[in-house]
This record gives sequence, C-alpha cells and structure tokens, in this order.
Amino acid sequence: MPSIVARTILSISLLAALLRAQEPPGKKFPSVTMTPVPVASVTRGKANTVELQFHVSSGFHVNSNKPSAEYLIPTTLKLDVPTDIVLGRITYPEGQQMSFAFAPDEKLSVYSGEFDLTVMVRPLASVLPGKYVFRGELKYQACDNAACYPPKKLPVQFEVKVVKSPPPATKNPAQSPHIHN
Amino acid sequence: MKRDPVVIIVVAMVVSLMLVFGFNMARKSKNNSVPGPQTKGDTAPDFTLQSLDGKNTRLSDFRGQAVLLNFWATWCAPCKIEMPWFVELQKQYGPQGFQIVGVAMDDASAKEIADFAKEMGVNYPVLVGNNSVGDAYGGVQFLPENFYIDRNGKLVARAFGLKSRSEIEDEIKAIIASKVTVLK
Repeated sequence: MPSIVARTILSISLLAALLRAQEPPGKKFPSVTMTPVPVASVTRGKANTVELQFHVSSGFHVNSNKPSAEYLIPTTLKLDVPTDIVLGRITYPEGQQMSFAFAPDEKLSVYSGEFDLTVMVRPLASVLPGKYVFRGELKYQACDNAACYPPKKLPVQFEVKVVKSPPPATKNPAQSPHIHN
Repeated sequence: MKRDPVVIIVVAMVVSLMLVFGFNMARKSKNNSVPGPQTKGDTAPDFTLQSLDGKNTRLSDFRGQAVLLNFWATWCAPCKIEMPWFVELQKQYGPQGFQIVGVAMDDASAKEIADFAKEMGVNYPVLVGNNSVGDAYGGVQFLPENFYIDRNGKLVARAFGLKSRSEIEDEIKAIIASKVTVLK
C-alpha cells in the first residue's frame, strides 16, 4: 500500500511539473496604479492643492512629464473639472535621470516606483459646499530595460469636499483705559 | 490489510492540490501565451500595408528574399538604438538577398514617421502598420519586435525587445543561408 501511494504521489508530481514546463516564457507587462485618495477638504474662493500618488510596477519606468527627447511620450494628467471649480496648475515631479542598457550613454528622464502629482483646484466663492468628483486620465508610456510598451491611459478619479471659507476674524474694539462703572 | 483513513485523506488532499496547481498553471500559460506565429516553420502571415510614399506593399512581394520584419515606433527608445545597425546590415547583406521591412506601429502621421526615418538614414522600406497586422503577429505587445523570415516566407526566429547587434547579425545570416524551395 505505501509503495502504491508513493508511486501515485510521484506520478502526480511529475505530471504537475510537466504541465509547468509546457508554460511558454512568461512576460510581465507594466502597469501604473493610483493610490486611493482620501476626500480632500478644499475651501471655496481659495486655491487648494490635492496630492495624487501613482505607482509604476517594478522593473519598469515611464517617461517623466518632460522627457529628454522630443520623440518620447510624456506622462500627462488630464482632468474633467466639475462646474464652478477651476483647475489650476498640475505640478509634476522632476524625473530621475537614468540610463538603460539599450542606451548606456544617454540619460532619460523617467519616473519609477512612486511618484506624486499635485493638482491645484480653486472652487469659486459661489460653489455650494459639498462633495465633488474629478475624473480624468493619466497618459503614460512604459519601458523596461530592453523594450517599450504602447502608450496607455489610467483612469483617475478623486473627490473633494468644498467647505465655506471661515468667517473673517472680527477686530476687537480698543479697550478704553478708563474704568467704567 | 487495514487502511489508515488519515493517510488516505492526506494523500487525497495532496493529490487534489497538485491537480489544481497543475490545472491553474496550464490555464495561466494559455492566457499568457504569446500568440501569433511563434514556431519555427510557421508561415509568416501575409499582409498589405502602405509604404511612406503611399504605395501598397505586400510581405509576399519579398518572397525569395530573406526578410527581417521589424515592428517599431517613433516613441520607442530601444528601436532607435537598433535602427542604425539595421541601416548598416541592410547595406552589408542586401546584395545577398536580404531585406529589412520596417512596420511603424505609431499614432504619428505618415509624414512624421517619414521625417523620423529620414533623420535615422533608413535605407529600407517602412510601412505604416495597423492593429490588424499587429494582431496577426501576436498583438505586438511591446517594441521592438523582430521576425526573421526565410526565403520561403517561413518564420525562422522571433525576437522580443532589443537584442545585441551580434545576435541580430547571427539571425540574419541564418535566414540568408535559407534556400528557396517553394516557387513564387
């Protein structure tokens, strides 16, 4: 009985190993993901900033917003803005200057790992307080050490909570130096 | 002989796990497998694409020649590295019946591709690619992707990503050495 059991287990193991050996060489593909953003409080009538964090999968890089050559596709964020909210500047980080095996003498400006973008939003003073959703997409083009992948777009979405600006501080009238009864 | 039920249960669990593992690996390999012509001897799918000067060009027009079919794009930095090598290799091996055919998988206009190719000194036909041809060659999921095709239109090798110049040259020599066995 034990030898039959052992032979059965051995046969199944060999079968499983054979199935794995049939697998063609795996190819990992790049991805960029966005860390979920907590709802940001933004004051109407004022410029506010919202930080968005992105992550490039390991082993890959994407061109920065200002790549080193004209023919390279930059990483760019486009957003659709809710009514009465003004979209200000989108600030991109500086890229890391890196060279790769395919161009060891050339430095490319890239993002890898985590990178943060800052979005400036300015709700008009007339906007009703409440939650508003921003939707858009991050366009990027990724490469690894030997190959480049077609440009892709990552859907981007985040919420802001518009709050009223605090009332202006009232100025206390000057205290009279005299004691009044 | 008395059978220990615990042993039987453990064996059954181990066997089941191995079968599930093997099945999942096989399914994963099917999903991740690289489609398109990939086996030596597969016929390279024929196609018709426009060259940069607007002429319809078929892959089968080059039957009888050893062809390096190069998928590239203007935004692909590694593609830019191998282009000057291709220019030299075309000059060197062209007289022996070797032909490079570039397929640009770009959103850029034909004029932009042409300007880029001219700047790189490209001395071989460049065709404007499309998704249909890309799909026929496995989706061309990354660039550069090169297919080495013998004089009979059969795939000899396929290369993903940038390879060294010497590797490329070795593949070229292999397809140049092929003999025509099928009449046009």
